[in-house]
Amino acid sequence: MDIRRVAVLGAGRLGRGIAETAAGKGYDVVLFSQGAGGADAVARIEKSLDRKLAKWGITESEKRLILGRISYTQDLRELSNADLLIEATLDHMHIKRELLQTADQLCRPEVVFISASSTKKVTDLANEISRGDMLVGLHFIPPVPDVAVAELVRGARTGDHAVEVAKAFAQRLGKTVVEIAESSGLVNPRTLVAMINEAAYLVDEGVCEAADVDLILKSSWGMKQGPLEMADRLGLDLVLNWMEQLQMTFGPRYAPCPILRRYIREGRLGVKTRLGFLAYSEDDAVLTDDEGDKED
Amino acid sequence: MNIFVLNCGSSSLKYKLYAMENEQVLAEGRVERIGQENAIITHQSTGKEKVSNTMPILEHTVAIRECLNLLTHAEHGVIKNVNEIDAVGHRVVHGGESFSDSVLINERTKEILDSLAELAPLHNPANVTGIRAAEKIMPKTPQVAVFDTAFHSTIPPHAFLYAIPYSVYQRHKVRRYGFHGTSHKYVSQRAAEMMGRDIADLKIISCHLGNGASIAAIEGGKSVDTSMGFTPLEGLMMGTRSGDIDPGAIFYIMKKEGLSLHEIDSMLNKHSGLYGIAGVSDMRDIEKGIEEDDKLAKVAFNIYEYRIRKYIGSYVAAMNGVDAIVFTAGIGENTPALRTKLISHLPYLGISINEENNKKRGEDIEISTPDSRVKVFVIPTDEELVIARDTASLTS
Repeated sequence: MDIRRVAVLGAGRLGRGIAETAAGKGYDVVLFSQGAGGADAVARIEKSLDRKLAKWGITESEKRLILGRISYTQDLRELSNADLLIEATLDHMHIKRELLQTADQLCRPEVVFISASSTKKVTDLANEISRGDMLVGLHFIPPVPDVAVAELVRGARTGDHAVEVAKAFAQRLGKTVVEIAESSGLVNPRTLVAMINEAAYLVDEGVCEAADVDLILKSSWGMKQGPLEMADRLGLDLVLNWMEQLQMTFGPRYAPCPILRRYIREGRLGVKTRLGFLAYSEDDAVLTDDEGDKED
Repeated sequence: MNIFVLNCGSSSLKYKLYAMENEQVLAEGRVERIGQENAIITHQSTGKEKVSNTMPILEHTVAIRECLNLLTHAEHGVIKNVNEIDAVGHRVVHGGESFSDSVLINERTKEILDSLAELAPLHNPANVTGIRAAEKIMPKTPQVAVFDTAFHSTIPPHAFLYAIPYSVYQRHKVRRYGFHGTSHKYVSQRAAEMMGRDIADLKIISCHLGNGASIAAIEGGKSVDTSMGFTPLEGLMMGTRSGDIDPGAIFYIMKKEGLSLHEIDSMLNKHSGLYGIAGVSDMRDIEKGIEEDDKLAKVAFNIYEYRIRKYIGSYVAAMNGVDAIVFTAGIGENTPALRTKLISHLPYLGISINEENNKKRGEDIEISTPDSRVKVFVIPTDEELVIARDTASLTS
């Protein structure tokens, strides 16, 4: 089946990123979200495109073309004409179960489902729907338009056809697809949160300030962002959620550093609140003044 | 002999059907938005009404089939059936070092073309898609590939090599290839005809000034240098491309603006040139801006003219002289003010301009006065005709 219309469930950073990338490669995208924040999803995609425009990454006409291909809906019935469905909802089983089961009823039987979840197993999600053999895991890393790799996971029931469809889709988005065995946390969240957690401990123990942790690691290993800036950009609430999910599977080695919970209690969620481990300007750039470096 | 010329892009194609006995265009048309439900096909047979249809065309094979349906249509067509097409000529952007001339397509040719996709990722894969689609529909009809780069294959090493480690050329074939070769070949041959001279005895500088622009030094009918290089980004200022820039400035800009490779690539290809300076990429808008006393439009025009002038000077030096200068393509053919300004800066070549002829459009015309030491021509380019001629000569 020729894929032209892609439905994306979830209008968070991951869902918006997938929608923006797919529209940029010529797909028509329906972005679905039940959440209150979903209504401004297209406006946030436009903001993301404006940032690219300001950096000459796209042209004004390319921006208009991409936005013209994205529609937002709260009506699940609009999934019925999708050729491919991608769920990128919050990593809570009850949310995913409900949406996938509804989508299972609404979408044509030949439509492949992709789960972008990093902590929920494809096998478990597949058990919730009738088309279990058509569900495949494909984890994109935010910011989705810029990261050139995606992790692909087969569940116990995933068929070869679904894998081929997901691979072809990811490759058309310009991603190198790496297939890995099913494991909670995949490669990225699993290794990333471990590094973030250790960096958080360095700050919590007063070994050095957040900016210095990032500076040392960036300069040492050629990283574009240090782990604490990465955490801020992902959102500290998401990082904590990942750690809690991984802790359930792997035990105490994923126990979150207390500073994470403290920041979240204080409303320091990272870039989206302009303050996390570091402070951020209105255009999401790291502020280099003392305000951003101080823990409290 | 009927030749079907195809120029396939990723989501569009253009075609012309020629009767080669008198090089007459029997029909021409284009398909836009291939891959979409609302693709548009426009077709016109010579002497008949233009037709335009909107329909779902999801891939190139269907697009070509629709073109052939129109060519054989009882009312709109010009041939009775597809068998009346004797050969198909395909425009292929990049022939790399493998092709120095047009070739008859076979399995080996296609393998090489596939391997060249890396050198022209935006164009070659679409060209090859067109070849495969045409073969599928007309399996017994010979297919010929005509390359934009082929005419420049005569450029000598001292002009095609960059002064970077030689191993980079050996490993990755990074060198000047040049583009618009089919156009430079056509207009230089036509200029020689208009001069009534053998091209083997002439030194010609041809200026292909479209949205993309390049200039070529042609000695004895052979390209000896051209302004576009490894990619179409090098050389003259263009509509949205920068043309020549100090590579050191690129590193500096990337650092200061925090740009990724994609962003700097996009800046130089899509946000620079006339657009980068004046905010508009169309020379007609630049001219309008000049009329309205827009300072940046004037600056953009001056840079544009100056860059061409510098290249003309360097090619006069490279060939130790010049007999004719030719202007072609959208800006080259339709901007008399640019030609006037340019020529007014070349008194050392002994050119004087015939302003009356300089204002004429749409015809092959000499715009220099009879006493000019160097002749200047405006010649509308016809790349499709060159493709048709090459195809005919390889298949007849």
